[in-house]
Amino acid sequence: MTRPLTRCGQNEVKRGMAMYLPDFDYYAPASLPEACALLAQSGPRAKVLAGGTDVLPMMKKEKIAPEILVSIKKLHQLTGIRETPGNKVVIGARTTHNELVNSPVLQKKYLSVCVAAHRIGNNQIRNVGTIGGNIVNAVPSADLPPILIALGALIKLTGTGGERDLPLEEAFAGPGRSAISPDEILTAVIIPGSSLTGSTYFKFAHRRSGALAVVGVAAAVTMEGEVCREARIALGAAAPTPMRAKKAEELLRGRVVTEELLEEAGRCAAAESKTRTSIRGSADYRRDMVRVFTKRALRKAIKDGHS
Amino acid sequence: MSEKYAVIGKSVPKIDGRVKVTGQAKYTGDLKFPNMLVGKILTSPHAHARILSIDTSQAEKLPGVKAVITHRDVPALKYGISPARWDENIFCIDRVRFVGDKVAAVAAIDEETVYKALKLIKVEYEVLPAVFDPVAAMQEGAPQIHDEYPRNINTEIHQNFGDVEKAFAAAHHVRTDQFTGQRTYQSPIEPHSAISIWEDGKLTVYTSTQSPHYFQYYIAREFGLKMGDVRVVKPFVGGGFGGKLEPTGLEFAGAVLSRLTGRPVKMFYDRHEMFAHNRGRHRQIMKITTGVDKDGKILGVHADFIMDGGAYTSLGIATAYYAGAMLPLTYEFENYKFDMYRVYTNLPACGAQRGHGAPQPRYAFECHLDMLAEDLGMDPLELRLRNARRPDTVTPNEFKINSCELKACIEKVREISGWDKKKGKLPHGRGIGIAVGSFVSGAGYPIYRTNLPHSAAMIKVHEDGSAATLYTGAVDIGQGTDTVLCQMAAEAMGYTYEHMKIVAADTETTPHDFGAYSSRQTLMSGAAVKQAGEEVKRQILETAAAMLDIDVSTLDCREGVVFCQSNPEIQKTFAEVAREFFVRKGPLVGRGSYAPPKLGGKFKGAAVGTSPAYSFAAQVSEVAIDEETGEIDVKAVWDVHDCGTVINPALLHAQVHGALFMGMGEAVWEEVVFDEQGRIKNANLSEYRLPTALDMPEITSQLVESCEPDAPWGVKEVGEGATIPTMGCYSNAIYDAMGVRVYSLPLSYEKVWRALKEKREKEAGGG
Ligand SMILES: Cc1cc2nc3c(=O)[nH]c(=O)nc-3n(C[C@H](O)[C@H](O)[C@H](O)COP(=O)(O)OP(=O)(O)OC[C@H]3O[C@@H](n4cnc5c(N)ncnc54)[C@H](O)[C@@H]3O)c2cc1C
Repeated sequence: MTRPLTRCGQNEVKRGMAMYLPDFDYYAPASLPEACALLAQSGPRAKVLAGGTDVLPMMKKEKIAPEILVSIKKLHQLTGIRETPGNKVVIGARTTHNELVNSPVLQKKYLSVCVAAHRIGNNQIRNVGTIGGNIVNAVPSADLPPILIALGALIKLTGTGGERDLPLEEAFAGPGRSAISPDEILTAVIIPGSSLTGSTYFKFAHRRSGALAVVGVAAAVTMEGEVCREARIALGAAAPTPMRAKKAEELLRGRVVTEELLEEAGRCAAAESKTRTSIRGSADYRRDMVRVFTKRALRKAIKDGHS
Repeated sequence: MSEKYAVIGKSVPKIDGRVKVTGQAKYTGDLKFPNMLVGKILTSPHAHARILSIDTSQAEKLPGVKAVITHRDVPALKYGISPARWDENIFCIDRVRFVGDKVAAVAAIDEETVYKALKLIKVEYEVLPAVFDPVAAMQEGAPQIHDEYPRNINTEIHQNFGDVEKAFAAAHHVRTDQFTGQRTYQSPIEPHSAISIWEDGKLTVYTSTQSPHYFQYYIAREFGLKMGDVRVVKPFVGGGFGGKLEPTGLEFAGAVLSRLTGRPVKMFYDRHEMFAHNRGRHRQIMKITTGVDKDGKILGVHADFIMDGGAYTSLGIATAYYAGAMLPLTYEFENYKFDMYRVYTNLPACGAQRGHGAPQPRYAFECHLDMLAEDLGMDPLELRLRNARRPDTVTPNEFKINSCELKACIEKVREISGWDKKKGKLPHGRGIGIAVGSFVSGAGYPIYRTNLPHSAAMIKVHEDGSAATLYTGAVDIGQGTDTVLCQMAAEAMGYTYEHMKIVAADTETTPHDFGAYSSRQTLMSGAAVKQAGEEVKRQILETAAAMLDIDVSTLDCREGVVFCQSNPEIQKTFAEVAREFFVRKGPLVGRGSYAPPKLGGKFKGAAVGTSPAYSFAAQVSEVAIDEETGEIDVKAVWDVHDCGTVINPALLHAQVHGALFMGMGEAVWEEVVFDEQGRIKNANLSEYRLPTALDMPEITSQLVESCEPDAPWGVKEVGEGATIPTMGCYSNAIYDAMGVRVYSLPLSYEKVWRALKEKREKEAGGG
């Protein structure tokens, strides 16, 4: 590579503490093939750098130690939010949370995505953190995956081997592990055209800003009068990865919606969830919050459309 | 008030507002000196371990490293801010006692090198069993943290006033409740930093401090220097709340590194290290028993507490005494017993945090009183009114209370909160609660024994009278003392605030003051400033009398104009008189100093909690509870304070808001959490959740008319008092809303949820 790396020895002493950013080599390739080639060639030593709001703190805390950071800031095809034929919405991977919040396209079609993005971190984080980073970082509490999964989103990946589309819900392998191969770059998130009539995301957190989710619940529905034709429920911070509450969805399909039904769906989603105890809440509390917010999210998606 | 006073009582702009909002204000971390090195401390990764060996050779060889030090390179003298318990070393000698204990330090040419060098220091440890709970730490056979303190008892207090047992025997009703507090951390926005420059036998330290004086005193002591050879300078400080009252490893290690290298050394804590250094609020386990007569009159109280002190004493002895001493301030009763154990654990040391020892016991007491009121079928506000302290009374622990408008505070908060319309009448899920509080306006005695005055001040008028500079040792850490003291100086001089300058908190250029703690400066520093201002005024009037050739007793001076009281046409400007003074006699200077009268009783610990004056407050909050999630939505808070005469209303109400912000954080969210190895799990501002602007309720802050006889212009404190009632106030509101009581802090959503669940299960089981 361009210059010799100065490596810090593994240090047991300060592990886990915030400290100084270790050395790394920095690249900002000008094209996607170049970026993918660089990633392929460097293997696990390299990491993509988008907004850096996850990567850089983890490096400081020595949870990861990439030797190479590949910035995607020159890859302009990864930007922008647009509607395409077939009623699709294509969101570039580098889109920041605040760009999601302020997007006229999303505000018109899927306000729920704007609302979810607005609940992320704080304004500083929303100005730099990206949708791509939020997905690839793969933490169970991330706020965008649930609503995007509920809307049936796909992700577009480009690697040295070419392009592929993947349903977003298949993009997660475990906490902090995405199913995307190291030489792939996420280029866009696609919300397909659909007949969904409403969607929403509830983030339940310990304060109104700057707090990660205790649980996050997204619901999307297709209503025909009182009858629920389609329901998609996606949970955050409720399992090792973002997950669908498929049994609860099944329960709703084709049924006339009543309060009792929503309550039952909530209980069902809670039973499906695999919550665990962490600093943000114990497993049983979180499980019950899945119940509460599944019910509330469904109710809102049914009543208020994409909100 | 505006007629009576020309400068005080007005919300003048903060004297440092402009430089702060434009970013010009320089904090310690902003300062740079030629050849300055960067220093960093290596800390222990174990909660309790024996140090077997330390090898610094690799670190020393790293290019750019200028010094590496361990216990071998520094004085072995133990230090601490509580004189009765010096138990800390600059670096651990044979044993580390918590994760974060200081082991070694490095100075190097830049941050990058320092961090690399830290990793090259090899420390061999033998891990020892550790203990993290104060009750467990008191058991026989628990790991011994300091050899000198059997059963890890750092402080033991047994105070007994009157006859509690007799009072309980005579009482109509007695009940006992137990509550638990939590560890919280001050979390000032500005991390600690210090720049030490040791040259030619003199040590200068620029540091983020609440008390240059105590820093100077303890640093001089540690290195055997004369106080005059240690200069401590406070640049702008971004908050302290009790966490910056004592010198830290940054000053001690920094001084040695500077001496060894002959260069200035900047040291700092990052956010994680701040949490590890700590000195935040103690977790207290509080058992409290009260006997009342059938009308709710309190006959006696027994407070039986244990506190987790962490690995060192810090200011914790005072904290332990304060925890009990402050309880009888608000209510009149004669029989009071206070038992306390402050216990060492293998966790970061706790110290003084806003409200010093008092907020958690106050939470316990105010919850407990609501429960008593319910037992008696009384309105809790009535119960408080019935017992509220009156002026010119003495507490069972012999604190003399002069001004006290607590009853008026309660009456007013009742009115403005709509208490009578709301209490017990709000819809399910909504509730209202009350709590009161009181705090000292400056500690009656300094932290170490000395007969120095508590505050001193000097005012120098410029040669041409166009400005006057106040020199004070008082410490502005954001709360606004520089502004308030300049207002006071101008008022006393008959001058204008706009022409005041200030030089503050530099032990070499400003007169002595003990600093920013125990809510002392408005009263104590203010008294010294007033005296200095009056001395200037007297000289101005004398000079003017000579210039005008009239009797000095006919003259007065106000807002920069000297005038004849019977004929205001006859006047001269302050500036021209001041100039004339300089021409005739040289510098126009006023001096002042303040020492409180002798206060308190003769029993052990009688000094802690004494004060020339006490503030009082009553707080009501209204909450909405989400029955399914336990989420607490604080709709509104009404705070009514008796804080004497107000010097600057805007700053005063800002203190109430700020104190409430802290009280609210501690009530609902904040808690330092450890893993099973004693490592902090949330040493960051993401998981240690201070409230955000969005979380703050609507706040109504009001005052009652009050004037303290023993204080300059009748002032009292406000900064800490408003933190004290909030936790109990919220707990009582939650109970009113939902009928559940949470017995530990914080009153988190999950705890409320769990209490509601248990209540439902019990009701279902019982019915
Ligand atoms: C103070 C703070 C608060 C936060 N609060 C929240 C919150 O409330 N909710 C929430 O969900 N998150 C939160 N986060 C996490 C973070 O901000 C988000 O996950 C953000 O979206 C990450 O995006 P980024 O662009 O910064 O990612 P980066 O840090 O740059 O990257 C994250 C990961 O994704 C990979 N990556 C990024 N882009 C691509 C791409 N196009 N192709 C392939 N791989 C890629 C990186 O290699 C890395 O592994 C918070 C973070 C901080 C520091």
